[in-house]
Amino acid sequence: MNSQDFISSGIIELYMAGVASEQQVRELNAAIAQFPEVAAEVEAYRRSMEAYVNMQSINPSADVKNRIFSNLNNTPNLQQVLSETDNDLQPTKVVYMQSSKRPTWKWIASIAAVLLLGSLLLNFVFFNRYKEFKGYKDKYESLLLSQNSILSKSNLYKTRLEQMQESMNVIQDPKVFKVSMPGTKAFPTALATVFWNKESQQVYLKVNNLPEPKADQQYQLWAIVDGKPVDMGVFEMGDTVNLLQKMKVTGKAQMFAVTLEKKGGAASPTMEQMYVAGKIPG
Amino acid sequence: MFVIYLTVNNSTRINLESSVTYTETELVHGLLARDEKLFSYIYDLYSPALFGVISKVLNDNAAANDVLQEVFLKIWRNADTYNEQKGRLFTWMLNVARNTAIDLLRSKSFKQEQKTIYNTDDLHALKETTPVLPINDQLGFSQVLERLTKEQRQLIDLAYYKGCTQEEIARIMDVPLGTVKTRMRNAIQQLRTIINSTNL
Repeated sequence: MNSQDFISSGIIELYMAGVASEQQVRELNAAIAQFPEVAAEVEAYRRSMEAYVNMQSINPSADVKNRIFSNLNNTPNLQQVLSETDNDLQPTKVVYMQSSKRPTWKWIASIAAVLLLGSLLLNFVFFNRYKEFKGYKDKYESLLLSQNSILSKSNLYKTRLEQMQESMNVIQDPKVFKVSMPGTKAFPTALATVFWNKESQQVYLKVNNLPEPKADQQYQLWAIVDGKPVDMGVFEMGDTVNLLQKMKVTGKAQMFAVTLEKKGGAASPTMEQMYVAGKIPG
Repeated sequence: MFVIYLTVNNSTRINLESSVTYTETELVHGLLARDEKLFSYIYDLYSPALFGVISKVLNDNAAANDVLQEVFLKIWRNADTYNEQKGRLFTWMLNVARNTAIDLLRSKSFKQEQKTIYNTDDLHALKETTPVLPINDQLGFSQVLERLTKEQRQLIDLAYYKGCTQEEIARIMDVPLGTVKTRMRNAIQQLRTIINSTNL
């Protein structure tokens, strides 16, 4: 293809309109390099297109120029210029994130390490204290237990001591008569004693030896006043036999006796079940 | 090779606005040296033409202002990519402006925005655009338009200003591809004839 053929091919016009294919653009560039008359023809077309463009000039608003010149040395990177209109703040934001990210993680990591170390140390300390405390707690509990048992025992002793004291007081009182009641013929080994305060008319009983009664039976003390039996109350056996038992009061009596009756006592004594009996001396 | 680029109409304009004029070489060297005073001169000299192209491509004044700013910042920052051997400074700048504007026009986000504003189909939206007459018609644009047929104006608009391919133009104008080629060639030739005879 000579230069004239190329000029009349129409490729230059299509190129000027901006619709030449890639292949045609390559051919055009080759022809421009090869033929000065093609280059001149292209330049002539270009000038007419540019004149056409120039005719349609429009003056832009003045602030565009100001904006351009205030931005000339701001962002030297083309990529940022392209995205500038959409994401004005993004580049700064990204830079801030990146520069602040590393120190932040370092800080967090070191703080976490320190906290972990501290936590382990405290774990160790508190676990040891806990073990110690647990030992103390066990000791404390056993001490509390033994103290409680000692206290209850001591209370028991105290009560018993008081009861003994009371018995002693009764016995030691000079106004109190001691009436010994030996066993009857049916129960020769039985023995009981009555202490009678004639002034207060209070009667006390001390069991010296009486067999344990059945569960539905109880011993009953009687005073014989002018030949008639008077109820002085029933009394307990078991541990209480070691103590003086307070009975009812009577102002007169010639004799005391104990019979075994049904539980709660009887209105009149069962003579066959009389265990002990004793006359008041004098 | 291209020592002085100051066409008759441009030099007239320059003389109206500024007492100083520069040669093409001085402009290129000033740009490469990032001379703000010279760049200001380049802006005053070429921004109306570039803004005209961008406006015609986008049909959206706000977007055109943004693109004009982007284009001049590109020119400032990428001045090193300009090759004097390949053409005049204005040719390069015009390409940057036209390509940037067409890229935006064809971008999804821009299409979406225009669709919501005008609610029209892409290709038919392109077909319906009426030529925007420059505010200042001292350069005789209306005379040129008078001598182009409506179809020739539409062909040039679709190809040069809307960046359509031959196939797209054939579809929009509903004519065979071969017909587009023939008519396009005639339109460009006619344009050249008119411009040369307008005595500008």
